Amino acid sequence: MPRPLLLLFLSSAAVASGGLALRSAAPAGAQTRDPLLGVAPAGPRPAPAWHNTSWLNTDRPLTLESLRGRVVLLNFWVFTCYNCTNTVPSLVDFDRKYRGQGLTLIGVHTPEFPPYAGEHDRGNVERALRQYGIEYPNAQDNDSRTWNLYGIRFWPSFVLIDKQGRIRYEGAGEFHVGDGNYQLWDRRIRELLAES
Amino acid sequence: MTRPLAAALALLAACAAPAPRGSGLAVRVEPGRDSTRLVLVAAAGIKINARIPPALETPAGLRRFHAERLTPDSAYFADPPVAWLPGRVRRVSGTLRASVCSPGEAVCRALVIPI
Repeated sequence: MPRPLLLLFLSSAAVASGGLALRSAAPAGAQTRDPLLGVAPAGPRPAPAWHNTSWLNTDRPLTLESLRGRVVLLNFWVFTCYNCTNTVPSLVDFDRKYRGQGLTLIGVHTPEFPPYAGEHDRGNVERALRQYGIEYPNAQDNDSRTWNLYGIRFWPSFVLIDKQGRIRYEGAGEFHVGDGNYQLWDRRIRELLAES
Repeated sequence: MTRPLAAALALLAACAAPAPRGSGLAVRVEPGRDSTRLVLVAAAGIKINARIPPALETPAGLRRFHAERLTPDSAYFADPPVAWLPGRVRRVSGTLRASVCSPGEAVCRALVIPI
């Protein structure tokens, strides 16, 4: 059998064959979430309080309570995720445009792999922030506690919280400055900023 | 059944680690004389993140998968990544970790697969 055909066969077998159950890194019981960004807004519900202790780009840990009155965009990401880093220019743009109008953008850096892969290392995260020009605060979520708290399943994911501390919009997936999903998030941010 | 196909089926039966349903990944075990080559094969369309190479955690230690050829953006493996085990083994067991991007999705998923 020609080698490409053999590979095709094995690939098909990989999908079709039975075997041991897949355990994804997603927490058990996580809510189903469309990986695309065109998700309908979730019904407003209180955002859970995070308790991350290791922060970058801020001189003190940020708390949900201290951000009451501001719109908060959480971005769950990791520097090894290409889809995440491709989205960073859009987030940097949101931060530049809206920080002064009441938006706080927070990167929640959640590793995909165990510590041997280097994603947990603060120095590596710092380097990534410099590399991608990220100036907004970032929390290290090395134990995935905040990821689990919010029921996140994909990198990158986004949670938009209103001035009352309620989750208003959620979604996941890469987007780029000026594209349709960028404009969607831009509209959502402006909508919440306009609320009293 | 032609001999090449029969040989391929025999190879699959002997050397392919159990593939979790729907994961789209399989580890092909290729025993050599002094070492064993492990090839991580992805189903069509599934891209394996090269920024964080897949890992096989075994009782004997950690093995990382690599391939020389990457996609033009350097983000994914262009060839099935390979890892090596010392000695000649016909079966492997452990935990496979990989970060993958499925067709049509603009997200990373972390797979943790017992094999």
